[in-house]
Amino acid sequence: MSYIDIRKLRKSYGAGLKPAVDGIDLSIDRGEFVTLLGSSGCGKTTTLRCIAGLERPDSGEILLDGKDITYDQPSERDMRMVFQDYALFPNLTIADNVAFGLRLKRYRGRYTPEQVKRRIGEYLDLVHLADHGGKKPHQLSGGQKQRAALARALITEPDIVLFDEPLGSLDANLRKAMQIEIKRIHRQLGKTFIYVTHDQEEAMAMSDRIVVMNGGRILQVASPEEIYAAPNCQFVARFIDRANVLSGIVVSTEGGQTQVRLGDGQILRCEGNGVAAGSTVGVMMRADRINIAGGPVDGMNMLKGMLAERLFLGAKHEFVVDLAGEAGQLNVFEQEMPDGLGGEVMLSVSPQDVRLLAE
Amino acid sequence: MRAFGNKALVTILGLAVLFFLYAPLFTMAVFSFNDSNYTGLPFNGFTLEWYAKVFANEQIIRSFGASVFVAVGVVILSVTFGLPAAIALDRYDFPGKAWFRRIVMLPIVLPGVITGVALLSFYVAIGLNLSLYTIMLGQGTALICITATEVFARLQQLGRSTSEAAVNLGANELEVFWKVTLPNIKSALLGAMLIAFSISFDEIAVTYLLTGRENTLPMTLWSMLRREATPEVNAIATLVVVLSVVLIVLGFAISRSRNALADTGEAAL
Repeated sequence: MSYIDIRKLRKSYGAGLKPAVDGIDLSIDRGEFVTLLGSSGCGKTTTLRCIAGLERPDSGEILLDGKDITYDQPSERDMRMVFQDYALFPNLTIADNVAFGLRLKRYRGRYTPEQVKRRIGEYLDLVHLADHGGKKPHQLSGGQKQRAALARALITEPDIVLFDEPLGSLDANLRKAMQIEIKRIHRQLGKTFIYVTHDQEEAMAMSDRIVVMNGGRILQVASPEEIYAAPNCQFVARFIDRANVLSGIVVSTEGGQTQVRLGDGQILRCEGNGVAAGSTVGVMMRADRINIAGGPVDGMNMLKGMLAERLFLGAKHEFVVDLAGEAGQLNVFEQEMPDGLGGEVMLSVSPQDVRLLAE
Repeated sequence: MRAFGNKALVTILGLAVLFFLYAPLFTMAVFSFNDSNYTGLPFNGFTLEWYAKVFANEQIIRSFGASVFVAVGVVILSVTFGLPAAIALDRYDFPGKAWFRRIVMLPIVLPGVITGVALLSFYVAIGLNLSLYTIMLGQGTALICITATEVFARLQQLGRSTSEAAVNLGANELEVFWKVTLPNIKSALLGAMLIAFSISFDEIAVTYLLTGRENTLPMTLWSMLRREATPEVNAIATLVVVLSVVLIVLGFAISRSRNALADTGEAAL
């Protein structure tokens, strides 16, 4: 049995509405950093709020260490949440915000005033806000507010910390810095972190495991590496780092390889089999696994297309290559720039880097 | 302002508005110090006689006391029922919520005379004797919506997340209210109390119909005016204006000193 077990969790915000969370099962181990990932409306925040007790599920159960906590009061749960809009108390100073939990009836008598004071210092230090304790929330920047909210959540030493898109309203650089910060704190404290985001890059960078959700259901649960290399369906493939997904028809399977005919008639070989000839499949290729080739290369798939667009990304170039007809587009990452737009290019991709996906 | 283009015209219009608003008040105040038995020119000299007369007039002092008594009662009624109503509207979903909201709002839309007549016939029907308490009840029911709407607006602005954060940190319902909700709606609540107080203080339509043997200050003033506009009336009115200004300035000062709320915006007053 895992530390947290979610079983058949279902939550709808109104009769007749499509459920926000549609019967999900999920297990989380102690000390894990798990990210619920998906676009808005996929049910990730609702799931998190059910875990926190801020929403009442319609059915299903949430077990913590084997104990059913589905309908426990939120204030009785030993888990703290970091909210997207920070939710700092505007009338209190940062130090008082951070100390809020310690001063509640629930924790009364557990710490002497001196201990409370020392802890405030410790946790303000942890989030690098030692000099800001006397300020009011509106005097802090977005990143500082979120770090204050983090300190407030951590100070009562909960076993579980929940994050609801905590970096959503920060700019890109600050977001990156905060990701590193949160990861450092996770390592330092060893608590269980459950994190919600719509940003796949953020999920990849931070998590031990990613839970990809869509339409209230879980599509895939795996490590970032596995999700990246081996998405289990087209949605996950497209969602994670915009993989190239083309559709085609299986022509033959032999010798552990499957041949797929794309929309423009070109044949693509890929490793693996198990799909019957004639069936429609998706094939996935990562942009960094495709190369622009001068001529045919042994053992590789060769694809012809038209160079439609190129984008300079700093460390690399991204090219958009149109295949003939309705076959689709491929994004390709390359270090060097090929000749002008509009010309024909030849692409090479190893059969090992082409994955078959269920339609 | 630029839309009007003509700066001189805008200035004249602005001054005219101020003139129409404040000239009567100013005139009244000036004549309250005029040493003459009649309101009107000429100025015979400065005197405090009328103020002395006001403070010596037991009927006026008593009705002033009655007005304050009623207004305080109205504020208490408005807060006791309006505050929970606002919190319920903000936080909970319950059947008939939309209707409840309209019903709470209704009394302020109804003309005072209608409210007065309705309450009067109700009191007669249940055999309640008219007194200051019936006035209090009449005005209070109509002014519940002042607190309810002001506080509701602030709660909506505040959002749920701070109270959710408090609960998540382990606070019980009472702690959420005292430590999070109340401090953040305090200025809206005080503003509502001041508004309710001043509306109640000069209310006459409902009061006229529900009054018993004791009179409130506006009622006394009115009956005095039926004879003539004496300088004494001017003196009372001037005092009331001064009191109102003091209350309003006080109200602003209190809500401004809570600049901690700069985050959630200071829009209530």
